[in-house]
Parts: sequence; C-alpha cells; structure tokens
Amino acid sequence: MTEQDSLFSYETDTGGNGSSLSVRLGRIKLDNPVIACSGTFACGLEYSQFYNTAILGAVTTKSYSLAPIEGNPPPRICETASGMLNSIGLQNDGIDIFIKKHLHEAEKLGIKIILSIFGQDPEEFRKVASRAADIKERIIAVELNLSCPNVKNGGMAFSAMPDEVEKIVSSTVSILNIPVIAKLSPNHQNLVEAAIAAKKGGAEALSVLNTVVGMAVDIETFRPGLGNVLGGLSGPAVKPIALAKVYSLTREKILPVIGMGGIFSWQDALEFLVAGASAVGIGTANFIQYDAGKKIIEGLRNYLKEKKIYDINEVIGRLRT
Amino acid sequence: MKLLNGEILSNEKYSDNLYKMGIFSPYICKNATAGQFINVKCSPEGVLDPLLRRPFSIFNIEKKFNVFSILYMVKGRGTQFISGLKSGDMLDFAGPMGDGIDLNGNENNILLIGGGIGIAPLYLIAKLAGEMKKNVFFAAGFKDNSYLRWGKDLIELKINYAVLTEDGSWGEKGLVSDYVWNNMESFKNFDIYCCGPRDMLKTLQNIYKDRNNKVTALLEERMACGIGVCAGCVIKLRKGKKGFSYKKVCKDGPAFSLGEVIFD
Repeated sequence: MTEQDSLFSYETDTGGNGSSLSVRLGRIKLDNPVIACSGTFACGLEYSQFYNTAILGAVTTKSYSLAPIEGNPPPRICETASGMLNSIGLQNDGIDIFIKKHLHEAEKLGIKIILSIFGQDPEEFRKVASRAADIKERIIAVELNLSCPNVKNGGMAFSAMPDEVEKIVSSTVSILNIPVIAKLSPNHQNLVEAAIAAKKGGAEALSVLNTVVGMAVDIETFRPGLGNVLGGLSGPAVKPIALAKVYSLTREKILPVIGMGGIFSWQDALEFLVAGASAVGIGTANFIQYDAGKKIIEGLRNYLKEKKIYDINEVIGRLRT
Repeated sequence: MKLLNGEILSNEKYSDNLYKMGIFSPYICKNATAGQFINVKCSPEGVLDPLLRRPFSIFNIEKKFNVFSILYMVKGRGTQFISGLKSGDMLDFAGPMGDGIDLNGNENNILLIGGGIGIAPLYLIAKLAGEMKKNVFFAAGFKDNSYLRWGKDLIELKINYAVLTEDGSWGEKGLVSDYVWNNMESFKNFDIYCCGPRDMLKTLQNIYKDRNNKVTALLEERMACGIGVCAGCVIKLRKGKKGFSYKKVCKDGPAFSLGEVIFD
C-alpha cells in the first residue's frame, strides 16, 4: 500500500547553476519567466503550503479596487470542455487591506509582487495608484486590469478603447514611477491598437490575455451556468487563442509580453516563449495542480539543460515561419 | 494540507450510482477530522478534461488501517471517471480541506439530519460523537432504497437512527424533515448537524427559526481551487439586519450556522 507526496522532494534552485532562466521586460527583471496570474494565486499565502512560492519569477496579486467589492452572485464557476467559466466579479478586500495585511504576508514569504489594480472609472484607477505609490518600493510593478467595465462610460471594457488605455496608463505611470504592465482583454478587435496606446502611455509590458467572454446553459433547468450569465473562459480551451494573440503583438514588437492563457505544463510555457512572450503567466493551472508554477520552472530548466541552451532568451521569439 | 497520491484499496459499488472508495493515506488519517473534504483530480494523469478537481467529504477514517473513505454518487463526467478506478490504482487528491467540526463544545445529544448523498459528511460526525459517548441520533432520508447498502455502515455505528424513503421502499415512508418536525419534542436538547438538498435545508431553517437548538449545515458549492483563492464557491450569509456577505464554502466552511445562511 502506498501514499506519495506528489511534490518534488527538493527545492528549486532558480539561479546560478546551469542555464540562465532570467528574463527582462523593460525595467522588470525576473529570475525566471514564470509568473502567477492575477486572481488565481491570491497573494501567494495559500500556495506556500505546497511549495516555496518565492521561487516564482513573480506573483501578480488579485486585482484590488479602492473599496472592497463583494462580487457576483453564485454560481460563479462553471466547468466547460477543457476549461472553466468564472464570474467572480472582482471580489476583493480593497487596496487598503492589501497594504495593511496581504502585502506583509507575501513579503514574509519572500514573494516578488506585481500589484494588480483596477477602477470603475479613470479617477478610481488614479486613486488606487496613489495608494500603491506609498508602497512602491515593496513591489516590482503594477499591473492594470483593463478588462473591467468603465462604469462612467457605458460599461464597455477599458481595453476596448485605446484612448482610455493611454490615459489610464499614463496617469498611473506618472503617479507611480515604477514599471506599469497593461493587462489586455482578447474580447475586442483592436488589440494591437490597445497595445500601442499602452506603449504611448508609458507601459513597460503587456499581459495577454485576460479571459475570453463565454457562457453555458443548463439544459435541465434552462438556467445559465453562471449567476452572472456571462463569464470569462480560461484553461486549456483558450490556449490556441492566447498564443495567436500573443504572437499578433510580439511580431509587431510593441512591448514585451507576458503570455498567458491555458498554460498547464512547461511545454505550454515554451510554446508561448517561442511565439515571442518574454514571460509566461500561470493561471487556472494553479487551481488544479497547486504546484504548477514550480513544476513549470523545473521543466523549463531541464529542457534548457537537455538541449544545451545556456540562456532562455535564446528561445524567446524564435518561431520559424 | 498536501497534494497526495494515495492507493485505492476498494471502490465498492453500493447501488447503480452510489460508490464507496477506500484510500490508503496515513497523512489524511492523522490530520483530518469530520466535516473536512478532499479535492480529487477526476481525469487520467496528464489529461485535463474534466478540468477541475471535485470536492468529496471525508466519509470515514479508520486510523488503525490508515484508510479513509469517500461515499459518492455518479453524477457527471468526473464521478463517472473515478467510479471506474480499481483497487491498486492511485488517486490524485489534496487535503484535508475546510474547517473540521469540533464536537467538544457541544451538547451531549447530537442529531444528524441527512438527505440523499448529504449523509456523507455526517457519518464521521456520528462516529466521532459516538466515540465521545454522546447520545447520537441519525435521521436519514432518501428517494428510494438505493442507499440500502449504506444501512450496514449505519448499523456498525451502534447508534439510534431512523431511515425514511419517499417511496416507502426502505424504512418509514416520508420526508426526513417531516420526521424531524413530528419528533420535535424528542430532539429538544440536541445540537444538530444537517446536510442535503437545498429544499431540505430551507425547511429545516424554517423549523428551527425560533428554537434554541444549535443547528449547523454542511454546504456544497461548485469549486475551482478548494483552498480559498478563487472565490468561486461562495454562499450568502446574513450580515446585520438586512445585509449579507459572501463566504467561501471551501475555506470559511463547509459548516455554517443554518440560521445565518441565505438561500436565494
């Protein structure tokens, strides 16, 4: 009879020995390209039960707004073919609780933090950024969640409106004076325009992509699968879409891209790197394989070693077309 | 809490859709208690469909043998997959999750009210309360006699019980909530744990609205992570006179005071 810890029994060594995994996205320097995505990792505390989360290139926090948000009515989760829909509704404790509580917890674990923020209008973005400015020495970057609806302008997502993207990015850059990452939505036609706008506004990098709008119907009850009817699709089902979006941006060489969408293994991560992403985000995988980040770092390291590649930057953007 | 691979020692078919799986795990047997659950990967190794892990209440712990079990109904693709696993196969799971139930602060009288598969988390509460020499009564209601094999497990606890079925094919005919209502006086000084369909819980909430019993409901919701990160498994709890707040079943529960729960 057997019971096995499904964790590796040794700690991951992120630097020094063997091939270099370190990457740069503008002024953002990471020990390795593996980042935990916003909303899938809280601030890292829960996952530290499973591995040393300080080994990750960075952890992007849950998105914080000015005041706490209760979020959407349940059900908030609906599984689909190789994917999941969610309509959490940006539930969060508010930026002040992050600063007072969660930031300390993450610091104690030695996590490199990217703070994700959002607002219901440009003014709220500015206010949250002002709060974040007080702690800017303790975080490596701020990510702007631009997929949320602009309540004061008809409810359309900010990232659908390049002008708004540029305004919000430039105002947060001027307040923060640390690297700002723009997280863009795949749900609009003008992704390249939004990316160019983010660059004009002074963004350091892009996170691509946020979840894809989707829905499900329960044919027994005729009710929608989600309490909010529409939600965001993530998981392996979106990976080809994500790769295509990442590629569409990296071939234009607008800004360095953190590629994300359905990455579950080091092989998935490598696909994004080859397609041009300078780093990768691990999202939904964290919900299923709690040590996914660690396994992906290990897998990438082993790959480089086996292929005798001494620097991961040698594979980034090397797609043969 | 750990990610584990435990050897399946048995996967017994109780009836058409009901199974009990025994898993070897010294870690769970040492660290888990009643009310907690495990989160199981319900697809073959390396396969990501079905994608999400499925939460299962810990049904029983046999410390002597380092074996714990889950009782489950085949409802969808995930449970269909695990129903096909054989003894000797490995189960990929994480646990123990959720807050356990502390029976120390309780009355000496414990009433368990279970509807359908809702009996699963109650069984271990009944067993542990029995071992503490408390007076335990298990009221269990089902649609039909498909849980008949579980009756053997129930008898092993050597506690008092009542079984009800809607079609009268096993035990008394009727609903378990009606049984509780009809025997209200006998259970006057009992602390209560209940688990089952939403309609049953709503009825019990009404029955106990103006009574002094401490009533705890064990709830379930669709989950993604199971560790308190994704905020997917929320339920509404009363807050103040008219307000509510969302609580996570996986981390804040799965046990909640029944009177506090808002069923929409």
